[in-house]
Amino acid sequence: MTKFSKPSKFLALVFTLAMKTLKLRYKNSIFGFLWSMINPIIYLVIFTFVFGNVFSEIDRYPLYALTGLVFWIFFSTSTIQVIESIINSSGVLKSINIPTIAFPLSAQLAALISLFLSMIPFMILMFIFGLRLTWESLIFFPVLVLFTAFTFGVSLILTSFNVYFRDMQLAWGSFMPAIFYATPIAYTASLIPAKFIWVLKLNPLYHFIGALRHAFYYNTLPSLGEAGILLVVGLGPLAIGYWVFNRLEKGFVSQY
Amino acid sequence: MVIGSLTDWKKDLFLNIKMEMKTDNDIMIEAKGLCVSFMVQRHGINNIKDFIITMGVKSPFEKSSVLRDLNLTVYKGECLGVMGRNGCGKSTLLRTIAGIMKPDKGSIKVNGVVAPLMALGVGLEPELSGYENIRLVGTLMGLSKKELKHSMGSIIEFSELTKDEIELQVKRYSSGMMARLAFSIAVATMPEILIIDEVLAVGDLGFRQKCANRINEIKDAGSTIIYVSHHLEEIKNICTRAIFMEDGRISLSGNVDEVCEYYKTHLDRKVATPTILA
Repeated sequence: MTKFSKPSKFLALVFTLAMKTLKLRYKNSIFGFLWSMINPIIYLVIFTFVFGNVFSEIDRYPLYALTGLVFWIFFSTSTIQVIESIINSSGVLKSINIPTIAFPLSAQLAALISLFLSMIPFMILMFIFGLRLTWESLIFFPVLVLFTAFTFGVSLILTSFNVYFRDMQLAWGSFMPAIFYATPIAYTASLIPAKFIWVLKLNPLYHFIGALRHAFYYNTLPSLGEAGILLVVGLGPLAIGYWVFNRLEKGFVSQY
Repeated sequence: MVIGSLTDWKKDLFLNIKMEMKTDNDIMIEAKGLCVSFMVQRHGINNIKDFIITMGVKSPFEKSSVLRDLNLTVYKGECLGVMGRNGCGKSTLLRTIAGIMKPDKGSIKVNGVVAPLMALGVGLEPELSGYENIRLVGTLMGLSKKELKHSMGSIIEFSELTKDEIELQVKRYSSGMMARLAFSIAVATMPEILIIDEVLAVGDLGFRQKCANRINEIKDAGSTIIYVSHHLEEIKNICTRAIFMEDGRISLSGNVDEVCEYYKTHLDRKVATPTILA
């Protein structure tokens, strides 16, 4: 019997921790939340100047790049923050009997709340770049759920191993740019030679970014096949991540 | 004098009756043949591939046992003093009772919600104010929003922090102030089992007296307390029974004075040779 077996108490715990993370992130900074917008905007400016002419055949290029960037940032910040979440809370975890998973969950929740907050100014920017919202845009919500499931699943694997080997956190930082360029964020998949397109399709982010562009760029619905892929690529990693976490959790306390 | 001794005598009698009336229903903590071990990295991991393959099945880490075949029964309303040299397994025992560590062998039954006060200022966020920290640590301790709201006033009052101090970032607190805040949160609700691990030594004399009073209140309300300390006087004042731990086992259990005397005669460290279970 623990104090957190009641779901309401567990959820309150996760929420409190997430709010703490958000509060702390922008504490003691003058521009606070604005900084989280600077990074994608710098990328956007670079893309538009560097690739704008190269990819001039892409319709509304700034909007195309921005729809990719905003969700890429969500993926990268989520994983980075979740990876550290368990090890950063070791002091609490070795002193109070709290379900360990509350910490990665709260980090993920904080990243999700950050995304929604940053969506407000970015939507305005997207409108300037020619965003149209249609009924099809509502596909955003189920896609985001699956995208979050995927992100959390991957992060859960990384954070579990990170308790044992701090290499995870270091390696992930190095891998990140590679994943970024392996995902059609600045370019379109049509620019990849047809015989290599399968490589791109192995990247789960390709499917998610594509589906999110359905909502905000193409204003179409993903096909049934695409939806099926999203379901598998979203829930599969979540299940694997939870399994890995469960297996490794027993040994965590010795590592704190 | 006469009245004093009479009440003392009455108290003793009362205690004796209480002791004899213990039934199985009053058992709060029961450990049988408890073995707990840590995983230690003796020669590092050679490769990550083996780790992944043997994940959860075979550990690349070696086990080093801390608690070895420990038996302990704690009854409701008892205040158990735990003594022993550094590294004899006191904290591991407390962590196992709190459910943070799981036994390898043997069993541990805990009948009730545990409020652990294992280290000073656990969960306190230095950048946040005292007030925000009460909400944060309170939630970590398992208080609901309602309970928090209800006990917020008494927590602040008990901590003896002024209105200005409570709005201050905790990083500006002295260690004594932090200890007061942490203790106040832990004892905000009447915990069924309260664990205190050498954390009260920092507060000033007045606050320590207050803590002792509060511990007595908690004890009188029928809660069970496990108290780790190296201060024999504190143990004598607070505890109703004491145990002395050596090398992961309880070597003596009984009357507080008796155990304190034993502690004094066992000041030489018994060098424990760590057994590697592999």
